[in-house]
Amino acid sequence: MATGPTLRPRAPWHPWLMLAPTLAGLGLFAVAPLAVAAYSSLLRWDMLTPPAWVGLANYRALARSGEAWRAFGTTLLFSSLVVVLTTGLGLGLALLLSRPGRFAAFARAAVFSAYVVSWVSVALLWMWLLDPDAGLVARAFAALGLPRVGFLTDPGAALPTLAAVTAWKITGYAMVVFVVGLQDVPRALLEAAALDGAGPWARFRFVVWPLLRPTTAFVATSSLVVSFQAFDVVRVMTQGGPAHATTLFVYAIYEQIFLNLRVGRASALTVLFFVALFALSLLQFWALAARARGAGRKATPPRPPAEAAPPPAREAAP
Amino acid sequence: MSSLGRRAWLSAAPLAAAALASAGCRRDAEREGGRVVVSLWFSYGGKNREVLLELVRRFNEGQARVLVRPTYQGDYFEALAKVRTALAAGVAPALTHVVGEVVPYLAEAGVLEPLSGYEGARDLGLLPPLDQAGSFDAAGPRELFALPFNRSVPLAYLNGSLVPAAQAPRTWADLRALARDLTRRGGGGEARFGFEVPISWWFWAAMAVQAGGELLGPAGEPTLGGEAGVEALAFWQTLAHRDRTMRPPAGRDYNAWQVTNQDFLAGRAATIWTSAAFLRYLEENASFPVVAAPLPAHARPAAFVGGTFFVLLRQAPPAQKEAAWAFLRWVCGPGPAAEWAERTGYLPVSRGAYEQMLARGFYEKHPNDRAALAQLEAAHPWPWRPELFRVEREIVEPRLERAVLLDEDPRAALDAARRAAREDG
Repeated sequence: MATGPTLRPRAPWHPWLMLAPTLAGLGLFAVAPLAVAAYSSLLRWDMLTPPAWVGLANYRALARSGEAWRAFGTTLLFSSLVVVLTTGLGLGLALLLSRPGRFAAFARAAVFSAYVVSWVSVALLWMWLLDPDAGLVARAFAALGLPRVGFLTDPGAALPTLAAVTAWKITGYAMVVFVVGLQDVPRALLEAAALDGAGPWARFRFVVWPLLRPTTAFVATSSLVVSFQAFDVVRVMTQGGPAHATTLFVYAIYEQIFLNLRVGRASALTVLFFVALFALSLLQFWALAARARGAGRKATPPRPPAEAAPPPAREAAP
Repeated sequence: MSSLGRRAWLSAAPLAAAALASAGCRRDAEREGGRVVVSLWFSYGGKNREVLLELVRRFNEGQARVLVRPTYQGDYFEALAKVRTALAAGVAPALTHVVGEVVPYLAEAGVLEPLSGYEGARDLGLLPPLDQAGSFDAAGPRELFALPFNRSVPLAYLNGSLVPAAQAPRTWADLRALARDLTRRGGGGEARFGFEVPISWWFWAAMAVQAGGELLGPAGEPTLGGEAGVEALAFWQTLAHRDRTMRPPAGRDYNAWQVTNQDFLAGRAATIWTSAAFLRYLEENASFPVVAAPLPAHARPAAFVGGTFFVLLRQAPPAQKEAAWAFLRWVCGPGPAAEWAERTGYLPVSRGAYEQMLARGFYEKHPNDRAALAQLEAAHPWPWRPELFRVEREIVEPRLERAVLLDEDPRAALDAARRAAREDG
């Protein structure tokens, strides 16, 4: 066997040297700000007067007011809506438009075009469309005899409306990813399934969908990331209202630091947001690991009888 | 790059960084063509912005010592956030304007330049209800930190084609009856609301005082009007939910104010409450005659003066502060202050400006501006408390919005606000 250059480092610190640029970037732009935020969360500070040490008072105030829970609940609901809408619409559009032809190409480009428009433009466009008096949507509702809906003014409607606008903007991206995923499905499998008598639904259910799972996971994760970062649509369309119905976590942090001038409370919210995201990430890793273990068990062939011997007896205790 | 070049660059880099850092730390007054440049951060949009920029241009052209460079910084509270951040970073502008309720907070934080030592500071002839001393409660002599410029009062605006000026509501009961008369219901809901007002602390605070309350108790504790505050909030809820004659506008903060104006101009609201600052804008853009009137009274007439004060920021270089003061003296003088008031609807801040307007017969030609002066007679001073703007922005205003939109118990809402204000204090 030919021996190539070894990948073993010549000195123990060489890997650290290679990692240093990345570690420095992470340290400077992720870990250090988080540490500063954690420290600031223990202060009462408005950036004008000297900071005062208040211990956990900011966390207690957030717990007492229910603000953190409310913002987290609102964000989870918003994210769930965005992920479901984006994934569902993206997949549906990909199935419809993943075919040759000019019309399909035009339709794909049209759907994707929303993705490249800035968030502020999208927000302003939808504010105009959803205007309860003069907007196109209101007029369409009126023409159809439907009741007047305050899409952005009704506390029950505002959050789903923002989720729908967000999904509208990012669905084009999801669609493109799904189109690529669909193109990776081997035609031979589909033809074999068809020969076995599988109809379109059965081919989708038992061939396409299992093969699209990694793509779906990617689309869902990227939509989740976008939804957790949502700020612009809230800032432009509702400013967190009506009655805090659309105060997502990031907007709550903005509100505390830029409108209420509370560095400590904004930092406490940031730390809580980090903890929540970290917990969600752990949950996701755990779920993926569990699935991998499950898949591994399914893929393992049954052991031949000779190998199915009982485990060796433990050594006798001394 | 050769190794020599790399070595030279590497040795020069720290020097360059040090030079940049020292340039960043040192704040000398910027000069252009021998003139001291003064940054003015402002928050006016539309017509008011046009007028301010015109005044600045004339000031810059009229002398050769100072160059005022105005920069738009968003609405009042966006601008405040930016000023605060700039102060923390040590790059604050020399001159800006801030809402009245924020002045005590900034003054107590020590970031405002005391103005009484500047030449002519006590001789500007400012109108007492509008200047710093008159705008805040009399708790002893206080350093001068702020000069009034765009000062306004809340006004009731009526669609003159629907309501003659003589029928402007004088009491809350009148307003309720008028709103009921003017509301028109269409197929899908209300085609025209009788009344619309931004759910804002400014209007609620006026109503709480009109109903006989005070925002703070004798010892400075937040009472938020007591029962009068509850009555004011309940009145809005009655109009919005029982009578269905009042529309709470969409959006928050100044978005809600814009929506209110647009609804009035489009005929979707027959009467609104908004600031005198929009007087000229509404008059010029309405397709119907606009009638302005003081807010209706309840137990008594009352309103708080709103708008902003000019302030100098202490950390600016002395030459810039001197230059900014030159602009302030000029713009608060009778001519520019009168022009500002005439072209925007804000109140004339000095006696000289007011007398010029009287002499020109301005108030005979503009009866709506007389309504603003009449409202000023019922002006109520703000308490001089550093926490005032926090109580307003963070504690009361969100609860007002929630209580009105969701029809929540007004007493519970204000009890919670009082508790939060006490805990925060």
